Amino acid sequence: MTEDKFESFLKKAAPSYNSPPERAPREEMWRAIQAARQAGPRVVYGGGANSVATSGSRFGSKVWLSAAAAAVLVATGVGIGRWTASPGTESTAASTVARTAAPDQVALEGPIKGDASGSERTVTTERGDSRAPGGRAFDRSTSVASGPSLRLDVASGGITASGNGVSGSASTAGATSPSAYQVAAVNHLTQAEALLTSFRTRSAADQRVDAQLASWARELLSNTRLLLDSPVAVDPQRRPLLQDLELLLVQIVQLSPGGTPQDREIIEHTLKQDQVLTRLRTAIPAGQRGS
Amino acid sequence: MELATAYPSWSSVNDLQLVTRVVAGEAAAERELYETYVDRIYRLSFRIAGDDELARDFTQATFIRAFEKIGSFRGESSLSTWLHSIGMSVALNGLRKTKRLRKREAPIEEGLTVGSTRREAEPDLKEKMARAIESLSEKYRVVFLMHDVEGFTHEEISGVLKIPVGTSKSHLFQARSKLRVALADFAPEWVS
Repeated sequence: MTEDKFESFLKKAAPSYNSPPERAPREEMWRAIQAARQAGPRVVYGGGANSVATSGSRFGSKVWLSAAAAAVLVATGVGIGRWTASPGTESTAASTVARTAAPDQVALEGPIKGDASGSERTVTTERGDSRAPGGRAFDRSTSVASGPSLRLDVASGGITASGNGVSGSASTAGATSPSAYQVAAVNHLTQAEALLTSFRTRSAADQRVDAQLASWARELLSNTRLLLDSPVAVDPQRRPLLQDLELLLVQIVQLSPGGTPQDREIIEHTLKQDQVLTRLRTAIPAGQRGS
Repeated sequence: MELATAYPSWSSVNDLQLVTRVVAGEAAAERELYETYVDRIYRLSFRIAGDDELARDFTQATFIRAFEKIGSFRGESSLSTWLHSIGMSVALNGLRKTKRLRKREAPIEEGLTVGSTRREAEPDLKEKMARAIESLSEKYRVVFLMHDVEGFTHEEISGVLKIPVGTSKSHLFQARSKLRVALADFAPEWVS
């Protein structure tokens, strides 16, 4: 009897919890759905009905670790892509490419296939001089953002990227250009989505959070520029997304703790108008979320 | 009709026709599907998320994904169950991510409120109910909200969450038991 009364009590009182508005914003959501579907072919937000989010990453202090890992991955992808994209690429395992501060000059160090002696040598190519000894071709006509520098050290099986205080290493065994770019891009977009979601869910008083977000956005901004300069940006749907993302990141970077509410409103407006968050979610393949 | 009674979770003919039209690329059918189910999906998303922006995001992502995957719909469950299954997956995964973000922000917010006065007033039933529901683990909370708040049957919950009916009933029992303890202050309301 008491059980029945408690059940009735719950059914009467519980609907006040997270009570939704009477009318769903049908038209707005429909427009957003249409825009997202036109922007990209893949939509995935989560796995199966009972899928469990991976618990590796934590927003807190570990966010910087994630950001650093993403930065390394992006730089790795771009680096591998540039290394392998050129026709006739048959480099052996022991070669090192070092990008220097001068964007139009590339130093190539290490033995190149065909060099029977296996001894290391250094070749410096100027922009426009696109063929290195050993038949290896380089196309360095595109410039990379001046911030991060990239260093491939295939001889040791490691890749090191540095820039904006971020560094790390990853195995390159079996890596191919397209997949490396894709992995880097997806990871980057996942990070960007997390940042923008964080931006939207913070309260207006979170000025300290704004400062942290700005710092994080700075990291992502350099990677966004790297990706815009990579073959990933050839995709007609991904390029505008990266460009819109770049604009948003610039706005967030400039958001100082003492910024006015109007500054934040402008970013919110851009977010909504360009449907960046929805497009990001659309661009992230299944299984990449929740990490 | 007999089939529908015996297998209530199977798709109706109308569902299958609608899906066929959507798969064929008929724009009006897409809109019809959306209009038919958007309110329930949005309501449930809102119940789970408690935030309009998130509920919109989840609802949008649900339909985008549904339109993309509709070719794989075989009618083994009702269209409603299939859509809600996607919706719950989207909402729960999205919410887990959002909670992680909020966990990170919480210490900062706590720091900012140092020195401020706390509310002295005793929370009313609505507030206490909200806290009690929030304190439930996700699996209990979801079943409770679906059954006692949104009116889903255990069979529907079973289909949407892909859990046995018995598990759904067990989760509801556990949820109610915990709520009964959490809401003990209000016992006179249900104890005669």
